[in-house]
This record gives sequence, C-alpha cells and structure tokens, in this order.
Amino acid sequence: MKGFLEYAPGNSFFHRLNPLTKLLLSLLISIAAFISDSLLFIVALVALNLVLAASSGIFIRGVMLLKGLAKFSMLIFILQLLLVRRGNVLVLLPLNLAITDAGLFSAVLIVLRLIAGTMPLALMLSITQMNDLSNVLVMKCKVPYKYAFAFTTAIRFIPIFADEMAGIIEAQTSRGVEMDTRNIFKKVGLILPLCVPLLITSVKKIEDSAISAEIRGFHLRSAKSCYKRYPLKLDDLLVLVTAALLAGLAFLV
Amino acid sequence: MIDLKNVCFTYQKESTVKDISFHIGKGEFVAIIGSNGAGKTTLSKLLNGILKPCSGTVSIMGMDTKKTKTSILARHIGFLFQNPDRQICKNTVADEIRFGLEQILKDKSLIQQRLDNVIAYFGFDPAANPFRLSRGERQKLALASVIAAEPEVLVLDEPTTGLDYSECMQIMNIIRQLNEKGITVVMVCHDMEVVLDFARRVLVLSEGRLIADGETREIFRQEEVLRRASILPPQITQLALRLGEGFEQVFTVEEMARNLLARTRPQYIGTVRRETA
Repeated sequence: MKGFLEYAPGNSFFHRLNPLTKLLLSLLISIAAFISDSLLFIVALVALNLVLAASSGIFIRGVMLLKGLAKFSMLIFILQLLLVRRGNVLVLLPLNLAITDAGLFSAVLIVLRLIAGTMPLALMLSITQMNDLSNVLVMKCKVPYKYAFAFTTAIRFIPIFADEMAGIIEAQTSRGVEMDTRNIFKKVGLILPLCVPLLITSVKKIEDSAISAEIRGFHLRSAKSCYKRYPLKLDDLLVLVTAALLAGLAFLV
Repeated sequence: MIDLKNVCFTYQKESTVKDISFHIGKGEFVAIIGSNGAGKTTLSKLLNGILKPCSGTVSIMGMDTKKTKTSILARHIGFLFQNPDRQICKNTVADEIRFGLEQILKDKSLIQQRLDNVIAYFGFDPAANPFRLSRGERQKLALASVIAAEPEVLVLDEPTTGLDYSECMQIMNIIRQLNEKGITVVMVCHDMEVVLDFARRVLVLSEGRLIADGETREIFRQEEVLRRASILPPQITQLALRLGEGFEQVFTVEEMARNLLARTRPQYIGTVRRETA
C-alpha cells in the first residue's frame, strides 16, 4: 500500500482530463456502488476500476489497493457474517452464532461496496496533482481557497504520515519492541504509544508547512490568483455523461 | 561477527543493493560511504534485520537475519537512526531509556542499574522532557537508550547529521570509547573528516555495489575509487594528494603541519597541537 495516494506522473487519457471531471467520475462510480444491490454490477464496477487504473498506467497500484482494501474489509465481513440473524441458517456456530444466507449476501455486498466505492477516489488522487485539484475547486466550485488548501493538504499528508509511521515502527523494532509479532492484539497495544512521536512529528511538519505557506503569501490567494485554466472539453463531457449513465444504471439493477 | 554473502535487495523494481559480500570482525570500526542513493542506508538496515535480503545471506553473530526476528536481533545489535524523533516516545528521559531496556530485560534491578549508569555517564536530568531537548541532546538520548542495552554491535545511520561540531565530537567520542571496549561499530557517514578521524576500515558503495573495501587511509588515497563514488576526501587530504611525493602519509591538518615543519623548521615540530577534540 506504500505510496498509494502519491501522484503517479503520466500523460494518459485520464491524466489529461479536467480534475473536476476526474473528481465527479470517481464520485459517480462510488455512488453507483452504494446504490446498486446487484453483486454482479458491483463486481463489474471493481473490474471497471482496474480497467481505469490499467489505462492510466497504474494497474499494479490498483491491484495493491484492491488487496489492501480486501484485507481491511475482512473484519467487517466477519462481523456482518456473524451478526446478521435474518434468512435461512446455513451453518450453526457455538455461542449461539449462526451464518445465514442473508448474512452471507449482506457481508459480501458490504465488502464489495466498500472496495468499489473507495477505489475510484484513491485512483483519482493518484492521477491528479493536488495543486490542480485545489485550483479547480476554487475556480469552478467557488470553494474558498483556504478550505480547498486544507482539503488537498490533508490528502497530501496521508502518505507522508504513513511513511513517518513506518519509520517509527522500524526504529522501535530496532530497539527490541516486538512490532514483528504475529499477535494482532499485541501489535495494536504496541503501536498505540507510538502515536506520541507521530503526533509530535506531524505537528512540527504542519507548523513548518503553515509558516512556508504564510511566507509565500497564502492569505493573498484567491480564485483570481490561478494562472492555469481548466476548461471542460469534449472528452470531459463524454466521460461525465458515461459516468452519469452508469450511476443511472445502478438504480435499475 | 557480521557476514554478508552475495546480498541483493530490491525496493519494488529498483535494485538498491547488488551482490554485496564482506565480513566484519569483532571490535572493528567500519564506515560505509558513498553518494546519496548509493544504498548505504539500505545496507545498514539489512545489518539489523529491518530489511531482509532478496537473495544471499546476512549473518550476525551466527544468526541468519532472514530466520531471526528483528526484535530478537535487537538484543545484540543497537541501531541509531539519523532522526532521533522516530525513536523517542516517552515523556521523560529516564522513561525513554527504561522503555528500551524493558524490551530486552526482565530483571527490574538490572534495568534500574543500567538506567542509573547510563544517566550518570551522559549526565542527563532523568526528569527532563525529551521533546524539549536540543537536536544534539535528543541524538545523545537516542544513543544512550541504544547503548544501555549493551549491544555487541552498534550500527549508526549518519549519527552526526544536523549536529554542530561540539555535539558531533561528543557523540563520536562516546562511540569511540564503546569501540575501544570491544563493541563492533558500523557507521554510515557523509562527513569524511569524521570517517577519517574515527573509522579504521571503509566500505565504498556506488550504485548499490561495493566498489572498495579497505583500511581508511588506503581508501582515501585511491582517487579513482572516490571519483566513482562521487566522494571528496577532506581538503587537507586533497592538498596532500596534489602535493604527491613526500606527502603520502598526510591526511590531517596536524600531519600536514608536522610534515611542513619537518621540511622547513624542524626545531618547532614539538609545538604542533592535536586538532581533534
């Protein structure tokens, strides 16, 4: 999952689209995933995400993202499987638990929705420069610059913090902290105290960013400050119409 | 003590360490040098098992790092990172050092004894907040909590980065004292004066390959090797290399002063001061 939100440079069709189009496309795919109850349709959406990743030259990253999300969803899958009591019982388990057909359907549906709904946003962020995204939010959506900046900076900081946390875990493992244990509960217990160095480093980094933004005239920036223009072209309109049709199709299936 | 055989390591697709083999014996003081991106930090992380080799073997005191957990290796190998803030996670200096000791020792009286020794040795205020210390003091604290564990091997990743001359000398003199007590030291370093003053053996890396391995002064004489690794020796060494014959044994300011006085005013040769702290 390392570097999954970092910008992957390229000149593909999707790289060249207007950032607003990419944002709307990813939102519409996410909405479609949450509207539809059809497993087949949502699987098709996951496949579509992989096709979009491949055509943007980030197929490997798409697969890594899929794997990461699948691992992350396992807990939700298990909880959903065990706690839904509706439907016909498929397997009886100890402690008065049971796996039902409705529970199985619901667990698979939720996991697929989570994957199909999260992938497009992460992929969109991988092929869009944060400056372009904040500029287009300011110019086209009239979002005040400081809010657009806060939004894009928060996203930009996620991989930085992930790297920092990886470094902290390395440092602690090197002094004998059993971060390499396979016991997940022990690992969580060991990671919690590490939030202190992460928090301190993060506050320092944020303070540095705030100072350098102030020095570069952050308070003077407005929608008029952007020299780049982001016109909507025919390609953008075609993509948006297709995405809207896809979201519409989600109501029908 | 440390044995690497045909070690390769690859980050995603990019190969950063290529077919490296060497042996480091007990009590050696070795510096790993090379330009940025040469694979120095990767190599140092391979030594304590944070990274496992893609091929080849890394053996530390007979333990294969692929088969041994890093947290177990940590009982024998201390690792000092370039950035102490990644290591410090407790609210007082004493708690910070104790936390590291608790990971490897069970005997509370022994932990307290080592803690007291280290605090006295470094002269720390045990109740001080580590996050309010200066950069140099935080680096000293990180070093203190590493050496409190009394490791047999100490791996240092650029221990002097961001420190002023006096802080740098304090840290390096402590490391030298540890080495004199028999601890094996492997240090990644960009400061060639520090390398020349402290390391007795140098490994030169370039584009992930080990291009030279030898006695420090011998390596600093090999201009071709240094050029391939994009390394410049200290200016006084460069001057001695330019002067050529008669200056082959000159590497430091003190040696240059002695050499020049011997040629011009031999009666003053006893007045030359040592330059290092």
